[in-house]
Amino acid sequence: MEISLKHLTKSFPGNPKKNIPDTIAVSDLNIEIKDGELMGLLGPSGCGKSTTLYMIAGLKAPTDGEIWFGDQDVTHLTPEKRGIGLVFQNYALYPHMTVYDNVKFPLTNLRVETTKKATKVLDNLEIKKILEENLDEILEIIKSSLFKGKFSKDASARKLVYRFHIVTSLAERIFKFGFQFLNSEDEIKAKKEEILNKLEEENKKELESLTSKGFTVDENYVVLKDGVPVEEKRRLTKDEIDALVQETARLVQINEYLARKPSELSGGQQQRVAIARALVKKPKVLLLDEPLSNLDARLRLQTREEIKRIQKETGITTIFVTHDQEEAMSISDEIVVMKDGIEMQKDEPQEVYNNPKSLFVAKFLGTPPINVFNGYISNKSLYIGEEKILTSDKLTEDKKVYVGIRPEGFMCDEHVNEKDKVLTLTCNQIVTMGRDMSLVCSHKELCGDEAKLIIDSDVKVSIGSVKFALKPNKVFIFDGESEERIEF
Amino acid sequence: MESKNNWKAWLYLAPVIILMAVFTFFPIINTFFMSFLKDYNYITGNFSGFTFDNYIDILTPINGSGPNTRFNDFMLTALPNTLLLTIITVPLSIIIALLISIGLNSIKFFQKIFQTIFFLPYVTNSMAIGMVFAVIFDTDYGIFNFIFGNSGFPWVSLSPTAIQNGVQINYWAGVFAICFYIIWNSLPYKILIFLSGLQNIDKQYYEAAQIDATPKRKTVWKITVPLLSPQILYIMITSFIGAFKEYNSVIGLFGKDGGAFDTNTGPDSMITMVYFIYNSMSGTTTIQYACAAAVVLFIIIMIFTWIQFKVSKKRVHY
Amino acid sequence: MKRYDDLVLVLKDEGLSTETKEKLSKVSKIVSLILIYLLLAFAALLVIFPFYWMLITSLKNGDEYQRLVPTFWPETVMWSNYADALRRLDFTTLLTNTLIVGVISTFGTLITTIFAAFAFARLEFKGRDLFFSILLATMMIPGEMMVISNYTSVSLLGMTTSTFGAYTAMIVPFLISVFYIYLLRQNFKQIPNELYLAAKVDGKSDWSYLWKVMVPLAMPSLITIFILKLMGSWNAYVWPNLIAGGEKSLYLITNGLRESFNTTADANEYGIQMAATVIVTVPLLLVFIFFRKYIMRGVGRAGIKG
Repeated sequence: MEISLKHLTKSFPGNPKKNIPDTIAVSDLNIEIKDGELMGLLGPSGCGKSTTLYMIAGLKAPTDGEIWFGDQDVTHLTPEKRGIGLVFQNYALYPHMTVYDNVKFPLTNLRVETTKKATKVLDNLEIKKILEENLDEILEIIKSSLFKGKFSKDASARKLVYRFHIVTSLAERIFKFGFQFLNSEDEIKAKKEEILNKLEEENKKELESLTSKGFTVDENYVVLKDGVPVEEKRRLTKDEIDALVQETARLVQINEYLARKPSELSGGQQQRVAIARALVKKPKVLLLDEPLSNLDARLRLQTREEIKRIQKETGITTIFVTHDQEEAMSISDEIVVMKDGIEMQKDEPQEVYNNPKSLFVAKFLGTPPINVFNGYISNKSLYIGEEKILTSDKLTEDKKVYVGIRPEGFMCDEHVNEKDKVLTLTCNQIVTMGRDMSLVCSHKELCGDEAKLIIDSDVKVSIGSVKFALKPNKVFIFDGESEERIEF
Repeated sequence: MESKNNWKAWLYLAPVIILMAVFTFFPIINTFFMSFLKDYNYITGNFSGFTFDNYIDILTPINGSGPNTRFNDFMLTALPNTLLLTIITVPLSIIIALLISIGLNSIKFFQKIFQTIFFLPYVTNSMAIGMVFAVIFDTDYGIFNFIFGNSGFPWVSLSPTAIQNGVQINYWAGVFAICFYIIWNSLPYKILIFLSGLQNIDKQYYEAAQIDATPKRKTVWKITVPLLSPQILYIMITSFIGAFKEYNSVIGLFGKDGGAFDTNTGPDSMITMVYFIYNSMSGTTTIQYACAAAVVLFIIIMIFTWIQFKVSKKRVHY
Repeated sequence: MKRYDDLVLVLKDEGLSTETKEKLSKVSKIVSLILIYLLLAFAALLVIFPFYWMLITSLKNGDEYQRLVPTFWPETVMWSNYADALRRLDFTTLLTNTLIVGVISTFGTLITTIFAAFAFARLEFKGRDLFFSILLATMMIPGEMMVISNYTSVSLLGMTTSTFGAYTAMIVPFLISVFYIYLLRQNFKQIPNELYLAAKVDGKSDWSYLWKVMVPLAMPSLITIFILKLMGSWNAYVWPNLIAGGEKSLYLITNGLRESFNTTADANEYGIQMAATVIVTVPLLLVFIFFRKYIMRGVGRAGIKG
């Protein structure tokens, strides 16, 4: 479902008596999010991104503007009526419930719209099929659950569910057939025949009983009344809930932990549970509030790939809030960079990186960060200190500017041949990191203490004054006053 | 350094150690000891050996009589009264306090005012307020009887006048009055504990529940109550202990004799186990019964507390 | 689980228009708020009513009190009930006794509590944790276990016969409160250890550190303990009643109140009786009004009345 925010504004009232002015958290935000897209909301803390997310969720009411889900204006709807999934920054897993109950919880509040089916018959057919095709494997699974001299029902069921994609109640029925206590092949075979016959009989009875109530059943076991499928809107059955929980658990890979309490899980596992809880109800919109901020660096990398995968698999329109630009760049289809409640730029991640519209965006994206120098335009040329960096006809106005140069925008050695269009930096430190080499340099016009450069490790550089040529597409000029981009 | 600190610390603790040795630890042992003495007279210190008779006497439900002692009332009156009051007031007051706390926690305006009002019964003198309740429940002139009573049938009747005029007071009317008073008196503490527990529950759980379209009532049962379970357990244990020790409310409401009821409707008075203990203490030769009763009370409390810990182990989330 | 793949999950009110949903949630919100306020107001009324009834009854005369239809405001305000009540209670004696016992036992408790809490919170010594657990365990034991034996000891020592002995007997057994020790220890423990070490470096003794640093920092808790303990003396009934043993000149306020109105069978006196309860209750309410914060915080930290 596409989401659109129209002139969305949120201000927190101040206190005139105490001379506290209104705080504007989000100001006139206009964003369109396409169906199935993963949108990253990026900005430093306090930029209003979480507030925006909470307004979309309905947990905070906007002061002004509208929120649309598809063709529905949901601005004034309470959160429970929006049908969204939200993953909280601290996960907010219910500590007193097991993982299973946590994931199941949203489903207990929902209804299902479906046609009535002969569920009993379908169950029996499913069991029949598995028994016919995979009896050996079933035996193996159940026998492997031997614990302290007893076959564990729960462990067997869990494994059967995982292997055969069946619901827990069916797995337990299979366990209770008691194959594990039989030894000879013949006994097992006889038992199997007996069970298959019994299932057949049950199905017959069930169909008869349906017929006697005036129903008929079509080839897909949909129950018909007067030739029309019977529609129903009802709570989910235990099996339906189990099926959804198991499938979602499989999707986020938490099957093993379903019986545990959240406190017994690691941060990354809790994170997955939180995502599962948000996904299990098949929301049309998924919102993630800094979901990775509580994880350690390695887990963060892993989990963000995971989120990307899950989002692609489910195709749910997703909004993702983060202050980590790398995170946003690596998983978003599109990112919105925000500052002080205002949208600074919105585009595909690479485009935002390649074409920052303002000094803020340029500075916010990229690791190591962009190097910013004080410069000026004079006579259609750009200068840093005394050195002329480049010349362009578009630089008509003489003024003070900021020059941003990406760390990978520097070249040396054979590229430095022209007398002008070079920048001389004082190189203080050289760190070789495999393929690349990182230089720490200084310059008197530099904003900040040091410049970080990344160049090929083949190049020979020595400590001291070094001349660099610049890649023009990695150099950005920003107005000295408005800090907006000046094209050249 | 270590050893120096050691004796210094014990010096700081000296008052506690001395006073507790004399007024806590010795009496506990002494009470146990006295409960086994035969024909004990504590003034003269005479006794004629050790016996279980004191326990057997109080635990045998026979209506006997002694001068000014009601030790035979233990099984027939004090114990049933105490158990009845406990069974009625503990769950009821917890549920009411829980409802009020959840209500208080969900409102914005007047929260502080309500909170202060609900705390008022805590800062009262239980004797004074017991006397007020006696007036409110009075048969002839009480406001309660005026509203809910019936002139032919004194629904709640406590006044000495009525007793003198031979009005038969229904035991259950007395039970109602004292339970009403006990619950009224015990609410503030429970509300305070529950409310501070509620305020410590992370708001995000409620937001998560709301996002998942959880109905309000379900949120209370599935989220609030389980997350409040440590406080509920604490309150349950303390109120059980408190209810087993009910005494002041009896004296406040029914006077020093513990009331007088129509014996066709139940026990003849509202005396409780602790009432029995104090009453037995006043005679020089019945103190061993008081000791035995105190030991029984102690054991009952221990058992109840232990059961609650056991039962709650699975249900309480820490 | 292909069978379940095509489940269409919907909200309970799916299919309604957005406006209806908005209206529904608004209505249900308002209705539930009204219900909550009604419930709270009703409960608050029940809580306040005894106070109100006590007050108006204390100002009624016997005739008015005995009306078949109770009046909700006294027709003739009987201030004289209060004078009668004071006389009946022998208020000066009761107040003197209560103040002597209350103030001395409160200060005594504060001292023992400060010492013990300091030792448990700051000093290192063998058996500290074990001893502290034993102290906490005694809170589980019903007080009646101690009262009996203490009473026999006190009366054997002849303390129930002299005024001084009676005062001592009312004060000394209650100079220790495990709960307050626990409360203050928690508070002391929150004071950063660095302060203690810094004081040590400055050459301060434990003694002066306790009084110069810890006690001032823990003042709010000490005030809480002070007030709760004083209120406890005001409300004490059982022990003073045993000690006084019917000797009116030794009664504390609560005993006096109960004794003065225990035998009377005359409903004419309900006005005076209620006046007496007002006299006993008002000081408590005043303390509550002025020290609400301290009282509620102290009690909220898992407290025991008295």
